[in-house]
Amino acid sequence: MSNILQSDLFGKVRATVLYATLLLVTFLICFPLLWSLSTSLKPTTEIFATPPTLVPEEYSLEQYKSLIQGKDMYFVPGTKYRPKTSPPQHFLAWFANSTIVTFGSTVISVVISTLAAYSLTRFRYWGRRFIPYFSLLGYMLPSIIFVFPLFLVMVELGLTNNLWSLVLGYVSITLPFCMWLMWAFFRGIPVELEEAALIDGASRLRVFIEIVLPMAMPGIIAAAIFSMIVSWNDYLFARIFINSIQQLPLTVGVMHFFEGVHVNWGLMMASAVMMTLPLAALFMVIQRHLVAGFGAGAVKG
Amino acid sequence: MPRGHSYSGLSDRQVGILFIVPFLVTAVVFIAYPVAQAVLMAFYSINPLRPGDATFVGLDNFYYLFDDSLFWDSFIQATVWTLSSIALQTVLGVALALLLHVPLRGISVFRGLLLFPYIVPTVVIALIWRWMFNPEIGIVNHSLMSSGLIEENVYWLSTPTIAMASTVMLNVWKYTPFVIICVLAKLQTIPLELYDAAKVDGAGVWQRFRDITLPQLKEVLVVVVIFRTIWTFNKFEEIYLLTKGGPGTSTFNLAIYSFEQSIANLRMGVGAATAVIMMGVLLVGSILYLRVFRFAEEES
Amino acid sequence: MSENRSGSSLSRRTFLTTTAASAAGLAAAGSLATHPSPARAQTKSGVVRVWGEPGPYAGVAVDGMNEWAQQNAPGLKFEIETIGWGSVYVKLMTDLAAGQPANLISVESPLAYQLMAEGLLEPVDDVVDTIGRGRMIEGTKWEYWGNWKGQQYVVPAHHQPHLLMVRMDIINELGLSNPDTWTWDDLLNAAKTIHEKKKMPGIALALGRNLATAYYFAALLHSAGGRMFDVGNKFEVVFDSPETVETLEFIDRLRPYMPRGATEYSFLQVVDSMVTGEAAMVFYWGRVYGRAAAEAPEVFKNIESFNHARHPRTGNRYNWNDFQGWAIPKQNNPFIDEVKQAVAYYQTKREWLIRYVHSLVPNVSPVYKDVAEDPRLLDHPFFETKKDTIMNYYVHSLKHASNTGNELLKGVNPLAGIVHGRLILAQTVQKVVLDNWAPSKAAKWGAQQLESVRKEHFRLVI
Repeated sequence: MSNILQSDLFGKVRATVLYATLLLVTFLICFPLLWSLSTSLKPTTEIFATPPTLVPEEYSLEQYKSLIQGKDMYFVPGTKYRPKTSPPQHFLAWFANSTIVTFGSTVISVVISTLAAYSLTRFRYWGRRFIPYFSLLGYMLPSIIFVFPLFLVMVELGLTNNLWSLVLGYVSITLPFCMWLMWAFFRGIPVELEEAALIDGASRLRVFIEIVLPMAMPGIIAAAIFSMIVSWNDYLFARIFINSIQQLPLTVGVMHFFEGVHVNWGLMMASAVMMTLPLAALFMVIQRHLVAGFGAGAVKG
Repeated sequence: MPRGHSYSGLSDRQVGILFIVPFLVTAVVFIAYPVAQAVLMAFYSINPLRPGDATFVGLDNFYYLFDDSLFWDSFIQATVWTLSSIALQTVLGVALALLLHVPLRGISVFRGLLLFPYIVPTVVIALIWRWMFNPEIGIVNHSLMSSGLIEENVYWLSTPTIAMASTVMLNVWKYTPFVIICVLAKLQTIPLELYDAAKVDGAGVWQRFRDITLPQLKEVLVVVVIFRTIWTFNKFEEIYLLTKGGPGTSTFNLAIYSFEQSIANLRMGVGAATAVIMMGVLLVGSILYLRVFRFAEEES
Repeated sequence: MSENRSGSSLSRRTFLTTTAASAAGLAAAGSLATHPSPARAQTKSGVVRVWGEPGPYAGVAVDGMNEWAQQNAPGLKFEIETIGWGSVYVKLMTDLAAGQPANLISVESPLAYQLMAEGLLEPVDDVVDTIGRGRMIEGTKWEYWGNWKGQQYVVPAHHQPHLLMVRMDIINELGLSNPDTWTWDDLLNAAKTIHEKKKMPGIALALGRNLATAYYFAALLHSAGGRMFDVGNKFEVVFDSPETVETLEFIDRLRPYMPRGATEYSFLQVVDSMVTGEAAMVFYWGRVYGRAAAEAPEVFKNIESFNHARHPRTGNRYNWNDFQGWAIPKQNNPFIDEVKQAVAYYQTKREWLIRYVHSLVPNVSPVYKDVAEDPRLLDHPFFETKKDTIMNYYVHSLKHASNTGNELLKGVNPLAGIVHGRLILAQTVQKVVLDNWAPSKAAKWGAQQLESVRKEHFRLVI
């Protein structure tokens, strides 16, 4: 990669400018998240300090403790009898619900779409050319368009106020994309190896499990990531489908902290961090696949 | 097709068909059927308080829409918010992708950090936005004020034009990474020889960008722009969670309008009719996409 | 998956059970936490879902009901779900559309009226008989909470007026007169004087697209003698009136002395502006005192609440009173009997009613004479320093009570709930303060919207 035109000095200046730009841009883009992290780690008194402190002067896990222990939001001096009814007491339940529906819908979406995409690329039957395009249409469909009719389907199936309604609802959002992505992926996997194994007498299932699945892993991972992000982040379906407070996922649950006459910003920012953490952890592990997967799926069919 | 028999006693072809069945059933029950219902609902008058008694009203819901100035306001605002979001996302996305494409030590760390907003839940961003842009106690006003850029607090979410700008900012912040991801993936496939050849010919940085990079990116960009346009135009959560369509109705788009009609106004049919119009927009976009996509396929 | 043979017959139910079963096996956790839905409970056990406003008081009531359950229905657990004012409509519509409303809901009267006229509520005359019809405090009637065509549908939870809340230290410093004697002109003048002399917002009202705005506007409109509908005359819309224009003009004249963000303010921001000391006056319910005492003792020390300023011509000083009550949705509600007994139980145990009132003084005012007169009621520290204010909320406000569902107490109007769902009043205000429409044009616009509500939902009122 050596280039005669590029002197050492020029290279250094260029690198410095690039790094400076990168650092600035990264700081600006990450600032909202850093600021919420910083706020969440401050004791309540410091949160409203003027001038605001960028880095907490005093670190405190007060906000997180309140979330996990379900602190009473409605403290009123002079009140002798205090009911334990404040929304934060459900935080852990919401977290569990979010986790359950995210995994549930991801597993279903990925399994169904992998099977289907394999079938579409390896067998011939009527409709095999249209189905992927319809999936694409489904991928572009905003959920607001069919949320109410889908809700009525859930009502009919007796699934409202039940985490299944969310699992299946999220499948309806994620399945088209997973399908599209897996279809694109399987088209890229050469069939020769499979055919050789089939001719040698291996069953289709065995071929699928032992040969195809390992090769499809990068696609499956990308589909799973997409699915998890969508399911974890959804607000609308949960808002409409779930009736009772202890069945809510995080996204709708934490909005309860906003609905009184007192916004506890520390609590809000701590919940923001807690909601982002699982995805952040996931993101660090699979960042590489994200680029590969979206490169393959979203753009190039 | 090679013939084989699986242990379950099914023929190879039956296995193949069995593989597609779960997809078809799920797609029909949970996507196609509700969408069809949504279209059907557009021709009925339905009160969510009495979901039982729906009456067929023909095109009344559409006439209602076309007569409602808020519908048109929402349509125009959605267009403004979409165009400005997309323009910013595309320009920023390409610029940042080019920056992230430079082979520097530690570049992957930057890549990771810049892609991160894409996975942050909308609820989280909306919360953080409301905290940062709070006129009295928010960090944004404080920073601008102390650096002398503004004289008095800016009411980010309660001044109509600025509220629109705030929602655009949120959208750009969250979705520029999507553009970066797509452009970056494409950049990695452009053969370096093209650049080397151009350098030998004495082409400058700008010329190389214009003559090599941009044409190579054209197809990706068209696709990304179409995708993002469709999604942005029909977005619900970003706006609902940040401004609920306010102040006034200045950040209403069709999705918010549809939601409000269905729930607050007890006119589910009108909400559904709005959804049908949104689907129309989507279809036009999809057809465009498929044309571009097919075209690209033939080329390669 | 290979067991899934139902592919040819597209029965949704079979598909679902099979897919569900196979997927459950695949899910890492192995099981999805699915609580049995109350609607299908066969035995009388399970969770009784209770809606409440944000705040501790509904939780107290639910604790009282749980005391009943422990003694009489050990399998039942009453559980509170907090619904913010902005979410009530979404929640209600989706719950009802799903046929799964909560088993007991705490709602303010305009919404209760709408639901009872829709035939969605269970009559509660039997509960009222148990509670005792003669207990109501002076100045109120059972119908204020919800009576329709001779039947009672709502059990009172509390009454809850918003009043004029004032920082007395500022009023005294500037030598302004006693707020209890004010007319609209004095209020305007006070706001202006404070704004000019103290360089702070004189008054903070909600002017956003939300219910708080509607409530403030309604009280002012009523004082001016205006109304939305004429209940006595086939619910004709009477909103396009000089009184409406006058009210809108008055709000517009107050606006220069409000915080600049007021055009987006809702309940929360108004409370914030008082508690943080940003503004010197607000219209608010009593809950500000609780938060101020906890967060800003200096502010708490200096605030007092009064009946609203009088309208100069009519002399009226109406407030908005929620008349918040308990209603029982009747569709798909397996716990109607239990809920009735539990409500009757806690409403006849005076110590629970006192705890309820005490949980947020002076926001939730007692409804029954015996509670209001019980000496234990005074056993709360706020009575030592804020007795006049508390009495204004609890008692003196009632002479001037009104709300959109029962305008000027001239009769119940079920259309008001729909008006609030659509935020018509708030939008009318916003036409003036945000879009700079002439008040007369905004009044016409509002009247048109009200007319379409009347037209679409006339069946409710005949």
